[in-house]
Parts: sequence; C-alpha cells; structure tokens
Amino acid sequence: MEPAEVEFLAEKELVTIVPNFSLDRIHLIGGDLGPFNPGLPVEVPVWLAINLKQRQKCRLIPPEWMDVGKLEEIRDQERKEDTFTPMPSPYYMELTKLLLNYASDNIPRADEIRTLVKDTWDTRMAKLRLSADSFVRQQEAHAKLDNLTLLEINTTGTFLTQALDHMYKLRNNLQPGESSHSQDF
Amino acid sequence: MAAAAGGDSDGDSEELVLTPAQLIHSLEQAWLNEKFAPELLESKPEVIECVVEQLDHMEANLKRGKRGDLKVSVHHMEIERIRYVLSSYLRCRLVKIEKFFPHILEKEKSRAEGEPSILSPEEFAFAKEYMANTEAYLKNVALKHMPPNLQKVSLLKSVPKPNLDSFVFLRVLERQENILVEPETDEQREYAINLEEGSQHLIRYRTVAPLVASGAVQLI
Repeated sequence: MEPAEVEFLAEKELVTIVPNFSLDRIHLIGGDLGPFNPGLPVEVPVWLAINLKQRQKCRLIPPEWMDVGKLEEIRDQERKEDTFTPMPSPYYMELTKLLLNYASDNIPRADEIRTLVKDTWDTRMAKLRLSADSFVRQQEAHAKLDNLTLLEINTTGTFLTQALDHMYKLRNNLQPGESSHSQDF
Repeated sequence: MAAAAGGDSDGDSEELVLTPAQLIHSLEQAWLNEKFAPELLESKPEVIECVVEQLDHMEANLKRGKRGDLKVSVHHMEIERIRYVLSSYLRCRLVKIEKFFPHILEKEKSRAEGEPSILSPEEFAFAKEYMANTEAYLKNVALKHMPPNLQKVSLLKSVPKPNLDSFVFLRVLERQENILVEPETDEQREYAINLEEGSQHLIRYRTVAPLVASGAVQLI
C-alpha cells in the first residue's frame, strides 16, 4: 500500500474546525455534516477541513492530543517501554503531517510538536525493526502487533511479507521428492 | 440532495439493508481485503451496484445545482474519493484475474450450485476472453511452429497459482477462538491462539482465509 493511500484513509478522521461562513446541513453519501455557522466549532473529516482551510474558509482546532505536554509524556512512555504503547490516534503521524503542513498557524508550538512526534515515530520504528528481525530469525508463525498504526505497519509490511514468502519457498524446496510443482507460485 | 437512507437501492436478493455510510464502509473493507489477499476474493456485486447507483444519483443531483456553490464542490470531492476507492478495488481484481486466470476459471467451473461466485458476469467474460486471447497468441507466435507432439501447453500447469501461504497483516473485527497456527519449522509444534477483537496480527493467509471471506477479520 502506498503511503499516500494510508493518508487517504487517515483523511477520514474527524477534526474540529471553526468556519467563517454559514451553510446548512450537507447530506454526504458517507454521512451528514454541519450545519456551519461562523464562529461555532463543527466536526468535519480532515479532507474537507484541509480544503476549507486552503480556501481560507475556516480555522482548524488541533486535536487535544496535539499538545506539547501530552506528546512529551507519550514520547517518554514509548522510550521507557519495550513494547509498543497505544498511540492517541491510529493515524497520529498522518494527522500531524497534514495539520502542520496546512494549518501550522492554528497550532501553537508547531515545531516542537513536529519534533516530538518524529521522536516518537523513530523510537517505534526502531522497535519495529528489532521485532521484525527477531520474527524472521526465530521463524515464528504468528505475531501480535496491537498498538501499531497502519502507517508504521505499511513501511515494512510489503517487504517483510515478500521476504517471508521467499524464505518459505526456499524452505519448502529443500525437501526433495515432494510432488509440488516447482512453478506452483 | 439527501442521499437515500435505508438503502432501499439494494438488489432484490439482499435482506440486509445498509445505510449509504455503511455501504461505503463495506466498499472500503472490500478494497483493503482485495489489496492484501493473495487470491481473488468473492465478488461483491451488491456493494458495487449500490455504490455506482449512489454516485450516479449524487452526480445527477449536482448537475441541477448552482455552479461554484460550496455545497456542490464538497459533494464533488466526496464523489471523487468514493470513485477512487471503487476504481482501485476493481483494478486490483482485474490485475489478479490477469495474473491467475487459468486457476480462477477452473475454480469457477468447479463451483457448486449456490456457492457465491468469485467473478462478476463482466469479469467472467473478461477472464474467458483473456484466456482465449492468450491461447491464440501462444499458438500463433510459438506453438504452431513446434514439432506436432509439443504443440499443446497446459496453462493450468504453467501459470503460477496464488500463494495462499503468504503472510498477511490483519485486524480482528469479531472475536475468534482457537485458531490453529501451523508451525514453520519441524521443531515447532502447532498451537492455538485466540483473536481478540481490535487486536492486530501477522499470520499466514491460509489459516485466516475463511475469516476474511466472512468478514470476521480485516486485512491491513
């Protein structure tokens, strides 16, 4: 899966905006939105929020986890634990990138937030590399990966599954006399 | 401009009535499953039909609306997003059909009555045509120039089968008990695991294939 496709899924998450226009309820296929009144906060999916922001029709309110104190706590927690800790949002990385790219003026201490999220990401990726390595080394058949977000899984997912498939084929071909066709897959 | 709630645009055979939001959710689930599954999954004609109907309905409504209106552009953006998922899903299926066509056609031929089809009627026609074209191509380019006893090729044997033993990532939607995990090496023994709702796993596709088909797990 392309990172852009993971971002596509992340864009469905809801975020609060404060519009500067008024519009009555919109009935989208995926659900209802609005009504929009100037100055009153309303929840919309990220794809719409970014679009409205670009047209200067709203102000974005950062999600409550996008705060320096909270993120520092999360980062420290992640560094302490050996396993993966739950993240405030299953799309924390994509949301950070999108909101900081398009609405950094609405987010206090944007640079610090960017650094904190990146630090957390790096710690988690290092853990992921270690655990993928041990999975392959010990030839495990199953792994539980709760608390991993889609973007993190996606960075190594394709490579890991293809590598595991290759190893499986090599292992199976070590056993001669099996009636498997060599061109089975 | 209200999208039809209650989903009475469902086909006549569907007892389950989905709201449009649920319909789009099913489409996205089907899209992700098809993307990550090594084999061609069941076709979902009801979902596709309903989504196309919703999109056409919305497009028709928009044509009547004012140009440059904010509402119109918002609806338009949503339509583009849904259309992207739909096209990606259908394209993914076509890629798999082209890759595994002899096995898919064989499976379809030996399908029991009442079992759901993995191909929609259009896909079936496409697969048959693709097979006929490939056979004609091989014959004209190479086979007819071979000595008479070598002029047959079994596409079923020479085209690789889908690898059902590949690993997949999944998220559990419905709790499952006692899923048997096959050992990788000879020293390991098989063991059973429970799949808790909301947990994520990395496991061989073969073990969870029926769960994907029933919607109990979602591939990610």
